[in-house]
Amino acid sequence: MIWLSWRQQRTETLITAAIVVLLAALLIPEGLHLASLYHRDNIAHCLNNKTPACHQAIGDFGGHAGILRTLVPWFTLLPGLIGGALAAPILLDLESGTFRLAWTQSITRRRWITTRFSVAVATSLAAGALLAIIFTWYRAPLDKVYGSFDATSFDLEGTVSLGYVLFALGLALAIGVAWRRTAPAVVTAFLAYVASRLFVDGWLRQRFETPLSATWSVRERGPNLDRAWVLWSGMSDRAGHPFSGGFDVLDRCARAVGSGSKLVNPTCLARHGAGYSHAIWQPASRYWDFQGIETALFAGVGLVLLAFAAWWLRYRTA
Amino acid sequence: MSAVLETEGLGKRYGSFWALRDCSLEIAAGSVTALVGPNGAGKTTLLHLAVGLSEPSAGEVRVLGASPQSDAADVLPRIGFVAQEHPLYRGFTVAETLRLGRDLNPSWNDDAARARIEALGLPLRKKVGALSGGQRAQVALTLALAKRPELLLLDEPVASLDPLARREFLQSVMEAVAETGMTVILSSHLIADLERVCDHLVILAGGRTQLAGPIDEIMGAHRLLTGPRSEAAEVARVHDVVRQSHTERQTTLLVRANGHVYDSRWELHELDLEEIVLAYLGRDAALEREAVAS
Repeated sequence: MIWLSWRQQRTETLITAAIVVLLAALLIPEGLHLASLYHRDNIAHCLNNKTPACHQAIGDFGGHAGILRTLVPWFTLLPGLIGGALAAPILLDLESGTFRLAWTQSITRRRWITTRFSVAVATSLAAGALLAIIFTWYRAPLDKVYGSFDATSFDLEGTVSLGYVLFALGLALAIGVAWRRTAPAVVTAFLAYVASRLFVDGWLRQRFETPLSATWSVRERGPNLDRAWVLWSGMSDRAGHPFSGGFDVLDRCARAVGSGSKLVNPTCLARHGAGYSHAIWQPASRYWDFQGIETALFAGVGLVLLAFAAWWLRYRTA
Repeated sequence: MSAVLETEGLGKRYGSFWALRDCSLEIAAGSVTALVGPNGAGKTTLLHLAVGLSEPSAGEVRVLGASPQSDAADVLPRIGFVAQEHPLYRGFTVAETLRLGRDLNPSWNDDAARARIEALGLPLRKKVGALSGGQRAQVALTLALAKRPELLLLDEPVASLDPLARREFLQSVMEAVAETGMTVILSSHLIADLERVCDHLVILAGGRTQLAGPIDEIMGAHRLLTGPRSEAAEVARVHDVVRQSHTERQTTLLVRANGHVYDSRWELHELDLEEIVLAYLGRDAALEREAVAS
């Protein structure tokens, strides 16, 4: 039965492997390049010494990451593709009627379901883990500078990919066993995957724990938000209400000192509802809490969907 | 003879539609039964219930003394089933298909399976999808036979085959029966396909059993009577009238005779099996028309 399960998802396993290999081919040269720049420009040293030269070096380093760095966040859709691909052979078995062949051999339906699902789950988890390893390695130098709490790296690193692939697999199987048509079910599942991810990324995740916030005067240094996930930051009044006026307030509160240089009066700014900075953020120390919550969320829903698909196959399919 | 397949008030409902209703049957060990009925009569439903692919909505089905639903692990190794259209994995080679059979069946007879494939002249490395319809049917049959089943169920096994492939397929089934003495149930919407190979007949129409029994008994009991119209009611009191048609003075009755018809006013004709089957299928349609009309 295990041989059969592998044989039946051979094409899809090869597709998954091809995705992983292509990703590695794309990211490994770039990752090596980033690591060498990080070393050459002594970025590690600069992170603790914010001299103007270092500011320049860090800025240049960020600029180097270039087009790939803007492309990589899209790769968070890959778990959706992989989950759908690995659900497909089971769904095709239903659609083409060949499940009647398998279910009338000597093994029970329960065993067929258990084995096929286990092999699909194991393959998805392996693929999800490989994706996370490749991304984490590639982004290591960037993460040292920018942290890894931002959506662009949070979605790709840590354990969340495991949750995403399980969710995508469960979604495609649950929709597919009820619908009995493979192609539309897999496409629908992918769209639902994207919608769920957008919802969690854009709305739910920042509410996993109550964010921290602070307001400080422009004369103060303020908290270090380098690696935090900053949800909001900007000019505000003393109480932290966002400044809503126009930039002409700067002109009104400024006086010229020498030629071409101006000095802004903070007291004047405060009178106009500005002069303070306000920020809302999730501190970097919560990174693994958030990874854990999000992984459990997607994996949990994924397992419920898998259980539903198994139940449907066991009791509702003939 | 003990019953290999037994159903008692068996029914299957999809929504409000009864695909099979109140079906009580006994299939004797060692028999070769034709399960005949028009498309949609409930043949596939009955077979799927018998192999545990679906669950009954009413009544009971027992195969080899056990329930194919709750005792699947006991029943499945002892039966062979070829579903409609002979489903096989088209991307698999013939050899991989045999491996599937070996992996999934503890009672698998690998030598016999290979010998059959060789005798059929099928290359082991060829993809199943590249075989002809007749060859695929033979591979599916090989898969079912190599389990060494006590009961073989074939759902419309020859419907999609050309006449030559039909004959070869049924020939293969008969050889296997001669060798092992297993019980076989074949379904078809045409009795002509199965007449030569079967000794029992079950007619299913409109989700109900119309007739069941050994073919020679059925042949012996059914007669076509032609006689005076005025006496038709009298005949119907004694014998079961399956179908009747009238002209002005004369009546033709197809009856299941209870004893002999001696009356000299009636002319007696023997019937062939196909006519009997058609009469029962026609009766079902007539009953339905009546039901709709009333």
